[in-house]
Amino acid sequence: MLEIVKRVFEIIKNFFSVMDRAHRSRVTELTAYEERELENIFVLLLLGSLAGIPSPPAFIAVELFPYMEHELKVLEARSKEASDALSELAGLLDMD
Amino acid sequence: MKTIFFTGKGGVGKSTIASAVAWQLAGSGKKVLAVSFDPAHNLGDIFGVQLSDRKKRFEDTLYLEEVDLNKASERYIRENIALLEDVYSYLKPFNMERYFQVLKYSPGIEEYASLTAMEELIRGEKEFDYLIFDTPPTGLTLRILALPYVTLSWIERLKRIRSSILEKRYTIHNINGHFSEKGVKLAYNEDEDMVMKKLKSIEERFIELQKFLKSENNSIVVVFNPDFLSLRESERLIDSLDELGMPIRAAIDNKYEESLSELAEEIEGKLLGGKGKNHEIELLRVSKQGRTGEATYELDENLASIFL
Ligand SMILES: Nc1ncnc2c1ncn2[C@@H]1O[C@H](COP(=O)(O)OP(=O)(O)O)[C@@H](O)[C@H]1O
Ligand SMILES: [Mg+2]
Repeated sequence: MLEIVKRVFEIIKNFFSVMDRAHRSRVTELTAYEERELENIFVLLLLGSLAGIPSPPAFIAVELFPYMEHELKVLEARSKEASDALSELAGLLDMD
Repeated sequence: MKTIFFTGKGGVGKSTIASAVAWQLAGSGKKVLAVSFDPAHNLGDIFGVQLSDRKKRFEDTLYLEEVDLNKASERYIRENIALLEDVYSYLKPFNMERYFQVLKYSPGIEEYASLTAMEELIRGEKEFDYLIFDTPPTGLTLRILALPYVTLSWIERLKRIRSSILEKRYTIHNINGHFSEKGVKLAYNEDEDMVMKKLKSIEERFIELQKFLKSENNSIVVVFNPDFLSLRESERLIDSLDELGMPIRAAIDNKYEESLSELAEEIEGKLLGGKGKNHEIELLRVSKQGRTGEATYELDENLASIFL
C-alpha cells in the first residue's frame, strides 16, 4: 500500500517536470507523448480515490467515468507494462 | 428559505433542541421541515411518531423526516454501477466492476450522499420557511460541510491538468490537421470536451452550494453541556466550523442546572469568551428538564426568536 502511495506521488511530481518540458517542446511526437502522460496522471488521480490515496472525492471519478473511455484505454494499455503503478493498484483492488 | 444545522457531541441534546426550535418556529406560524441525518435517529421518538425518508406532517405547519444515509449511499452506488457497466460493458480486460465495487468502501461516499440529500431538500422544499437539520456525529458532519471546499479545490487542479491535455491536443491538431486515436476524434476544445464540461458543471454546483452554506440564510448551532467532556469536542467543532467559514449563530448550553452555575460559566467562558472571534455567537441556556433526564420538544426557553 505505502509503495503505491509513494509511486503515485512520484508520478504527480513527474507531472510538473512533464509540464515544464512540455512548454519548451516543439515536436509533435514529444507533445503526443506528453499528452498521453497527462491523461495517465489525470485518470490516476481520479482512481486513487478508490484505493484511499489522497485524491479527489470519489464521486468526481464516478461522475467523469462515462466520458473517460479514451483515458481508460490509455490506462489499460499502460497497466500492461510490468512496473506500472496502476497494475499494482489494480492488483491491490483485486484483494478482498 | 432558511436552514439551521444543529451540531454537537452525541447525547448533548441536538435532537431535543432541534425539535424544540422546530416546534417553536412552527408555533409562530412558520412552515418548518425538520430532518434528521443522524443514523441514530431519535426525531421520531421525541415527537412520538414513526418517521421515514418521506416527510410527514406532524402538525399544521410542522413536517418531520428521517433520512436513511445507508439507503441513500447504496442507491447512489447502485445507480452509478448500472450506468457505468452499461457504458463500459465491452472493456473486459480492464475489470471495471472491481473498481465500482470498491466504491462502497471508499471514503467520501457517505458525505456525498448526505450533502446531496441536503442539497435536494434546499432546492426542492422551497415552500418551507425553515429547514432544520439534526446532524450525524461531529466527524461526519464536518466532512459533509467541508466537502464543497474540498471538491472545489480538487476541481481546480483537475481542470488545470485537463486544460494542459486539451492544449497538447490542439497543438497536435494544428500540426497534423487532426487528432484521433483509432479513428475516434478527440476533443481539443474546452467547449467540446465532455470531461471539461462535467468538471465545470460540478464546479458550478458546488460554488452555489458553498455560497448558500456561508450565507445569511444558513445558521449553525453548536449544542453543548456544562461539562468538560463536551467542552473539548465543542471547541474542536467551533474551530473547524470557523476554518470552513460556516456561520455559527448560537451556542446552546443545554441541561443547565443552577447548582452547576459556576462550572457552566467556566465552560461557557472557555468556549466563547476567550477568543475574540467568537463574540458574535449568541449564548443561550436551556435548563435540565424533569427528574428522569427526559426532555420533550416543549421547552420553557424561547429559542426561536434569534432565527426569526
Ligand atoms: N434540557 C434537557 N433536560 C433534560 N434532558 C435532556 C435535555 N436535553 C436532552 N435531554 C435528554 O438527553 C438525552 C440525549 O438527548 P438527544 O436530544 O437525543 O441528544 P443528541 O441528539 O445530541 O444525541 C435524551 O434522553 C434527552 O431526553
Ligand atoms: Mg440525536
